[in-house]
Amino acid sequence: MTKPKKQTRRTFLKLLGVTGAGLVIGITVTRDRRSPFPANDLALEPDAFLQITPENVVNFFLPHAEMGQGVYTGLTTLIAEELDISPEKIQVHHANAHAAYRHPEFRMQITGGSTSIKVRYQPLRQAAANARALLLDAAAEQLAATRSDLTTANGDVVWNGKHFPYGDFATTAASLKLSDDASLKETAEFRYIGGDVPRLDARAKTTGDAMFGLDVEIPNMHRAVLVRCPVIGGAPKSVNANAARETDGVTDVVTIFNGVAVVATSYWQAKKAADKLEIEWDYPALQRQSSAEIRAAMEAALEHDDGKEIYVEGSGAAALDDANSVVEATYWAPYLAHAPMEPMNCTARIEDGNCDVWVGTQVPELARGLAAFHAGIGKRHVTIHQKFLGGGFGRRGMADYVSEAVAIAKESGKPVQLVWSREDDTKNSYYRPASLTKYRAGLGSEGRIESWSVKRVGPNILPHIVEHMVDGMLPAATPDGIVSWLSDRPHGVFKSLVGDPFSVEGLFEDYDIANKEVRHVTHDPGLRASYWRSVGHSYSGFFKESFVDELAAKSGKDPVEFRLAHLSDDSVLRRAIELAADKGAWATGSAPGVFNGFAAHTSFGAGVAQIAEVSIENRKIRVNKVTCAIDCGVVVNPDIVKANVESAIIYGLTAALYGDITLVDGQVEQGNFHDYTVMRMADSPQIDVHIVSSTRDPVGVGEPGLPPVAAAVANAVFAATGQRLRDLPLKLA
Amino acid sequence: MISFTLNGDPVETDAPADTPLLWVVRDYFKLKGSKYGCGLGLCGACSMRVDGQSVRTCILPVSAVADRAVMTIEGLGSKAQPHVLQDAWVAHGVPQCGYCQSGQLISASVLLEQNPNPTSDEIDAAMSGNICRCGTYPRIKGAIQDAASQLRRETDSGNAS
Repeated sequence: MTKPKKQTRRTFLKLLGVTGAGLVIGITVTRDRRSPFPANDLALEPDAFLQITPENVVNFFLPHAEMGQGVYTGLTTLIAEELDISPEKIQVHHANAHAAYRHPEFRMQITGGSTSIKVRYQPLRQAAANARALLLDAAAEQLAATRSDLTTANGDVVWNGKHFPYGDFATTAASLKLSDDASLKETAEFRYIGGDVPRLDARAKTTGDAMFGLDVEIPNMHRAVLVRCPVIGGAPKSVNANAARETDGVTDVVTIFNGVAVVATSYWQAKKAADKLEIEWDYPALQRQSSAEIRAAMEAALEHDDGKEIYVEGSGAAALDDANSVVEATYWAPYLAHAPMEPMNCTARIEDGNCDVWVGTQVPELARGLAAFHAGIGKRHVTIHQKFLGGGFGRRGMADYVSEAVAIAKESGKPVQLVWSREDDTKNSYYRPASLTKYRAGLGSEGRIESWSVKRVGPNILPHIVEHMVDGMLPAATPDGIVSWLSDRPHGVFKSLVGDPFSVEGLFEDYDIANKEVRHVTHDPGLRASYWRSVGHSYSGFFKESFVDELAAKSGKDPVEFRLAHLSDDSVLRRAIELAADKGAWATGSAPGVFNGFAAHTSFGAGVAQIAEVSIENRKIRVNKVTCAIDCGVVVNPDIVKANVESAIIYGLTAALYGDITLVDGQVEQGNFHDYTVMRMADSPQIDVHIVSSTRDPVGVGEPGLPPVAAAVANAVFAATGQRLRDLPLKLA
Repeated sequence: MISFTLNGDPVETDAPADTPLLWVVRDYFKLKGSKYGCGLGLCGACSMRVDGQSVRTCILPVSAVADRAVMTIEGLGSKAQPHVLQDAWVAHGVPQCGYCQSGQLISASVLLEQNPNPTSDEIDAAMSGNICRCGTYPRIKGAIQDAASQLRRETDSGNAS
C-alpha cells in the first residue's frame, strides 16, 4: 500500500487566509504560450474566441462553462450580433483551460458570480465586430472592390447584390492587420440581442446527444470508485483490500491522499468491490462536531462575542439608544449541499508525460493546476477537455474530484473515470455555511427605520476556497522549505479573518438608513464550505427581508410602501419592487385562503422583487405562485433570463422548505434524495417573471432570483398564521 | 448471456446479471443519453421504457429485462426525426443543464401514450419520480400540455381522413 501524500501546502494556506482575495488574484501569473484551440494556418483566427475557416465554418470557443444558465446561447448571440450571422450557424465549442479565457475581473478562468454576460458583453461584441471589419477589408482586396460598397448579411459579404460566404475571405483576412476598435451596433440596430434566440443546446439536450463529463469514453478507460473517510478531511490509516482485489473486474486498489480507490473495468464492479474494503481512518478534528452543539456554540458566540466591526454608517449601533422603539430578531440558516443532478466525476489519463482531463468544471484553470500537482508534471503538459455541466450551482467551482481522479490515474497507471455516487456527492460537498444572525433596529416616530444593527455568526468560505486552491495555483517553484517554515508558524490568523465579503454581503446594503452597524463573529466548526448559488445572499436575503417585514408590521405599514420609503428614487430595487407589486396586483390583495408575502433583494447587480402566494394545507406550507420582477440591465435573451429566474426560485424554495445538512460526530447525516429532499413538480409553484426595461449594461441573472424567495414565503406564512418563522428550513409550529 | 431488445435491435450482454440496466446500457452498449443521478430510483434521471413503462434502471438488474423491450432516449427520437415531445421541449426552452431531461422525456412519453389529455394534477403525478435541480418543472408541464394537444390534433385529423 502506498502512503498518502503529505499535503504540506495545506497548512501553509492557513497563513494566507487573511489575504485570501489578494492571493487568488496574485498567483495567476503564468503565461500560456500554446494556441488556445487547434490552429489552422488557412483560417482567420483574430483572437482566442473565433476561428473562421476557408470551408466557411465559424467556430466560437465558449469561454465560460454551460451549466444550465444559458451562456452557450447568450455569449454566442453576442458574437452573432456583431459578426452579422445567425447564431445557429455558429459552431460552439467549450473552451479548454487557457489564459486567454481568463475572467476579466477575477483574472482566472472561472464561471461564477453571475458575471458571464456582464463581463463579456462588450469584449465579445468587439471581438466579433473586429473580425467582421477584417473580413470586409479582405473582401475589398480580393474582389478589388471599394470597401464602402461592401456590406454583410447573415454570414455573407454582399457586393453588388452578390453574396460571398465569409469563408471565401478567411485566408486573405488572416494576412491583414486586425484593428481593435471597429464600431459596434447601436441598440436600435440589434437583430439578435434582446430577441429570444432559441437555446442552441436545447436539441442536443433532448436527444441524449449532449456530452456531459460522465458520458466521456476514452480507449482502455477504467472506472474508479473512491471510498473516503466518513468525516471529511480524514485519511486512511490502514487498509485491508484483499476481498476487493478478488472481485471480478477489479484491476487495482490504490490509496490516495483522502481515501482508497477501487479501479475496475466497469462501474458496477468497482462499486461492489469498494463495499468490501476494510479501512481504518485517521479522523480529523471535525469528528468532535455535531449539529446541536454547533448551533449552541453559535448562539453563545452571538450572545457573548462582540465580534469584528465590518461596517459602520452614521452613529452605528449607538443610535439604537435614541430610538422610539427597538425591534430585534434572530435568524438561522443551516448548512446546505448543492446536489446538482450530475454527481461529481472526472476522467483522467496520464501518458507519455502528458495528462489529459475530461471534466465539466466552472474552474478549468484551477482544474489544470490541481491535475499538474497530482500528476507531478508541469501545467503546460495538462490539457483540460471541458464538457457540459450537469448542474454547477457553485459546486463545480471546486475541483476536488479532479485531484482525486488524477491521483488515482497516477497510482493505478490506468486511464480512469472517477464516478461519485449521490451519497458521495451529498456527504462530500463544499457546503453553504450555516449562519446565525441577529438584527436590531430602531424605529423613529414616523415608523421610519432610524438605525440598523446586524451581527452574523458563522464560518467564512474564503479560507476554505483558498485552501482548496493552493495546490493548484501556487507557483510550482515555491521551495518546500519556505512552505514548511510558514506551516510551522503558530499563527491563528486562519480563524481571525476579518471581513470575508461573502459572509456579510446582502445583510445591510439595500435600504437607506442613517445609522448602520455590521459586526461579524467567525465561528467555524471545520466543515468545508464554499460558493453555493448566490453565496452569502442565499441567507442574507432571507434574514434581511424577513426582518424588514417584521419592522413594517411593527410600524403598521404596508410591506411594499414601507420598503419603498427606504429606497431612493434611482434605486434598482425600487424599479423591481414597483413592477412586481403592479404585476402581482399587491394592492388588490389575495384570494380567500391564499396569503401573500413580499420580499426584495439586490444581488450581483440585479434588483429582484417577489410576491409569494401561499396557502396552508394539512399544516404544510404550499407555495401556489410566485410573481417576480427583475432589473438586470440590458437583456440579451429575455426567455433565458426568465428561465434563470424560474430556476433560482425553485432552487431557493428547496432551501426554504427542505434543505438541511446536519452533522453527527462530524459525519454528514444526509445521503440521497430521500433524506435531502428537493422540490418536485407537484410542489413547484406557478412562476410569473417580469423584466424591468433598462438600458444600463447587463448585470447578473443566474443567482439574483434566489435570495428573496424564502423571505417572501415566510412573510406569507406570517400573513396566514401570525407565526414568524425565523429558522430555515421553514417549519410551522 | 442476457438477451433483450434495445431501441428495437436484439442485443445480448455478458455483463454480470446483477448489474443495473443503466450501467449495462451506458458502459457496455455506450448509449450515454440515460443518466446516473442517485442509484436508488429516487430521481428518475436513469428512466427508460421497459415494455412501455417508465422504469428506474439504476436499480433494475439487467437480468430483469431478459426477453423484454427496452427503449432509451436515443430510441424515442433523434435530431432528424424528433418525437413531438422533443420538439415541444425545444419550443418551450425546457432544458437548462439538461442532465435530467432524458428521464423527463421518457416519463412524459409514457404518460401521453396512456393518457392523451392529462390534467395538471395527472402530469404532476406522472412526473413525480423525475427530479430537476434547475427547476424546469413549469416549462416541462407546458411542453407536455402542448405536445398532448398536438398529438390529439394529429389523431383527430387522422381519424377524419
